[in-house]
Formats: sequence, C-alpha cells, structure tokens
Amino acid sequence: MKKKYIAIGMGALLAIIAPGLVQAEMTAVDDATLAGISGQGGIYLSGDISINELGGPVEDSYFGSCEELAKKCGARFAYQLKENGGWMVLDEIRGNFAFEGLTLRVRSINSGFGGDGEVFDGDVLELGLPDVIRFHDVRFKIAGSSMARPSDPGFRQTDIISAEMQGNVIMEGNLLVFPAGTP
Amino acid sequence: MKTLFAGRLSAKGKVQWIIRALMSVSVCLWVPVVTAELRGLTETELSDVSGAGIGLVLENFKFSHGTDVPDENGNQGRIFKIGGLKSSDGRDVEIVVNHLYISGAGSNYGQNLRPVNLGRLVNPYTVDVVDGNAIGIADRAVLQLAAPTLIDPAHGFNCLGVDAVAGSGPCSSRPATAEYLGERPDLGMQMNLAVGEDRTANINIHAQSAVIDGSYLRLWGDNDRRQMVGQFRLNFYSPEVSINTCSQTGSGCGTRIQMTNFALELALGNRLQPMFFDVDGSGNFVIEVAAIDAPVPGSIGADGTRASSNPETWDFYQEYYSNPDYRSSLSIGNFSVGTRDFGPARIEGMLVQHLEIRTRDLAQ
Repeated sequence: MKKKYIAIGMGALLAIIAPGLVQAEMTAVDDATLAGISGQGGIYLSGDISINELGGPVEDSYFGSCEELAKKCGARFAYQLKENGGWMVLDEIRGNFAFEGLTLRVRSINSGFGGDGEVFDGDVLELGLPDVIRFHDVRFKIAGSSMARPSDPGFRQTDIISAEMQGNVIMEGNLLVFPAGTP
Repeated sequence: MKTLFAGRLSAKGKVQWIIRALMSVSVCLWVPVVTAELRGLTETELSDVSGAGIGLVLENFKFSHGTDVPDENGNQGRIFKIGGLKSSDGRDVEIVVNHLYISGAGSNYGQNLRPVNLGRLVNPYTVDVVDGNAIGIADRAVLQLAAPTLIDPAHGFNCLGVDAVAGSGPCSSRPATAEYLGERPDLGMQMNLAVGEDRTANINIHAQSAVIDGSYLRLWGDNDRRQMVGQFRLNFYSPEVSINTCSQTGSGCGTRIQMTNFALELALGNRLQPMFFDVDGSGNFVIEVAAIDAPVPGSIGADGTRASSNPETWDFYQEYYSNPDYRSSLSIGNFSVGTRDFGPARIEGMLVQHLEIRTRDLAQ
C-alpha cells in the first residue's frame, strides 16, 4: 500500500515534469505563420477597491485610524509646482469602489462610427465600462500646502475644495485606446 | 516512462532520462539563440522612429451621478457633495450636487439619458508629449492633453448647429442624426447651495449638444523660474446654455436664463506669456500670467510700417497683437431671462496681458 502511494506521488511529479520532456513534439513556427497568429479573447474583471477605508499604514501624531476622530486617515498625494515653492495636495483620499463586469480586450474596427470606422481600419484596446460603479463613502480634498508632509516644520494648509460621493454612479460605454498624435 | 512510474530506473531508462534532460536544457539554451530574427537599426532608421501619443475615444458613453431625495427614514441611496467652501461672512457653504450628467443629445435636461460618443477615431482626445519647437515653445518637451482638433471648414461641421452638415464649419465633432449618435453630448449639473442652515438656493446649469473641439492644456517646465508653466485653451460651443433655479423635485422653478448659440473661446497663457502655477507659503494656490518679456531692442518707425522699422521688432509686435490664438472671446446669439429677450452679446479679441489669481482662506 505504502509503495503504491509512492508510485502515485512519482506519477504526479512526472506529470509536472512531463511537459518539459515532450519537447520533441514541438515544431518551430516560421515568421509567416507566426504573423497570422494573434491572441484571442479578453479579460473580464469584477472588483472591489478600497483606499484607506479604515486608515493608512502611517500612524503618527497626524495620521491614524479612521476611528480616531482627531486624526486624518485618508491618503495624501502632494505635488510641487515650483522649486522651493508650496505643494498642491490631493488629501484625505479614501473610500471604496465596487464594480462588476469591467472588460478588457483588443478590438478590430473597420466599420461604424458614422463612417470613421472604415477610414480608421485598425485595432484598439477596448475597456468596457461596468455600467454601474458603486461608490461607498468616497472622499477627497484638494488643497494647497506649504509643506509636503503635515509633520514637516512650518506646515500650513488651505483646503480649497472637498468632495464626497456615495451610491451608484452610472458609467456606461467603452473607452477605446489607440496610438495617435504626433508619430 | 513505465520504469519511472514504478519508482526504479533501469540502465536503459537512465540513458533515456539523461537524453531527455539534456534536450530540455537545450530548449532553454535555444531561446536566446533565435535572436538572429532581431536586427539592429541604423541611425537613419532609428531617427524615423518616435513614440506616438495616446488617442482616447468614448463609445456609447453615459455618465450620471447625483444625490437622491431622502426617503421617509432619511436615508439616501446616492450622495454627491462638494464642501470646504465658505461664504464671505464665514458660514460653511456646501454644494449638494443633485445631478451631474453627460448624455447623448435630446436628453431633456438630463431627464432622459442616452449614449453618446466622445471624440472621433480619426480625431480623438489625445494625451501626448509634443515637440515644443513645433508649437512655438523652444526646446521643450510639452505634455499636451487635447480635445479633438479644429479642422478645415471645408470638411468640418458648424460648431453650433444641431443639424450641421459636412463643410459647414471648423468643428470635427458631429451632431447627432437619426442614424448616428454623434459626438456632441448634453452636459448638466443641478446643484443645491446650502449656506449655513439655509438650503433654499438651487442652481441648475445645462448645455445642449456641447462641443469643446480645439481645447487643450499644455504643461511644461520653466528653467529660469524653476516652475511648472502651462497654456490653456478652452473652446466651448453650445446651441443652448440655460440656467434655472428649479428644486430637486422639479417644483418651485424660478425664471430660466437662456443663452442661445453660446460660444466661448478662452485663451489663458500663450507662448510669449505662459501661465505659471504655484502654491504660496500659506498654502494658497496662485495662477499667474506674467508681464511679457521685453523684445529684442529695436525701433518702430514713425509711420508704423515694417519698412521703416526694425523688422524683428515689428514682426514681434505684429504677431503678439494680431495672432487670433492669443485672444479670448465670448459670443451669445440671444440672451433671455424668462420671456424677455436681451438680444445678442459679444466680447471679442480679449488679450490677457497680466493676470494673478490667488486663493484666500476666509477662515483664517
């Protein structure tokens, strides 16, 4: 009985190795044949993306868990517009986005689009929008700040605008991406 | 195979196994050997190769978000709020966005959402790094985000006409027809402005069959000021822009302000006077169009002609004052409030010579 288990174990190992051993069955594909082969199908994605829903990884006097009301728990993105100048900040970014049925595929267009398809006659990367994206407590702020980090000395920040979004956002259609502009 | 399966290797099996192992190693080695298919490019060939930008088109697009009227328990399915603003007397201002939409033509002010295409396959929205020398910004790589470009009026469409046909104007985006969705969306934003506890102010803005062809944002860096600079052009054409004050439930509508054949061409910053962006020490955002640099010294003749002047200096002023790309204009076909017509309005040829916008925090 014990021997049989070993034999089955070896068999399984062989099955893993086997594809490497049967290479004699593979034949080289010449350039002309290869040019006629292209990938098919696409990707279908459903997802749930959370950004700092409970809080970020940094815990200090300024950042912390969302349960601590005195602390900020959102993500912060700062961008400097001038050497030694102030910082443009996208601050307190947090929330959750959920979607079902985001598709990604390569599509060949040679008709439609009010006659443009025929002129275009090429391939595009098609991102199929998921019809509805559920926003759960999505928030962010746009601000101007004297320092990149709130913990830096002399930090002063002026919030310019803040946004809060919740519920179903209708986003239907396809985003088509292709090379264009100055070649 | 059978020998291996039994867990023992015969002498013959060992030889076969070694051969197979060697063959699989040779497969691994073989992969780098096929580089014979790759060829080096000569300098001449390489100079013809450059990266293209990215073209973006939205097909059958529809966008809608807003805020629901609370149910009997006070729950709201959808919420969209913009806050952080203050009134001049220090009260918090909260903008509740009741409805923000992008829809196909004929949406009846966002009531009836339809799909629309944004951008054309032959003239899409683009994200590109362009050669500054080609657009008058010497020796800089410029990041450009652009809407479809304006085209030869012999092939384009009238920017304002909902029934425009080919050859009627410079816009590339086409209006909707019975057979085709078109590339001109209806846009709108219905808002409720809450100043402190006062929630009575509603403002709704709708634009029908909107076109932004020829708009762009160009960003690059300035070496002398070590700062981000830009050039912004917004072309916005719509056969009808309306502002009303209906509440979210549709009741209590005030008078509708209607602007027909609305055309805005706004130019902020140009190659001689770009727009500078900064945030000052107190955290306030600053946008500046600085005074123009003095041109190369040279005199202009008393009669103002090129012949009697220093040609370079004359050309400089001529270009600065006559280039239509540097000018902003606003034209409204008819401005009406309720049943009263105020007729057409036009502001043309505005040249921004100096501008400084600095945000201020009223709370401080």
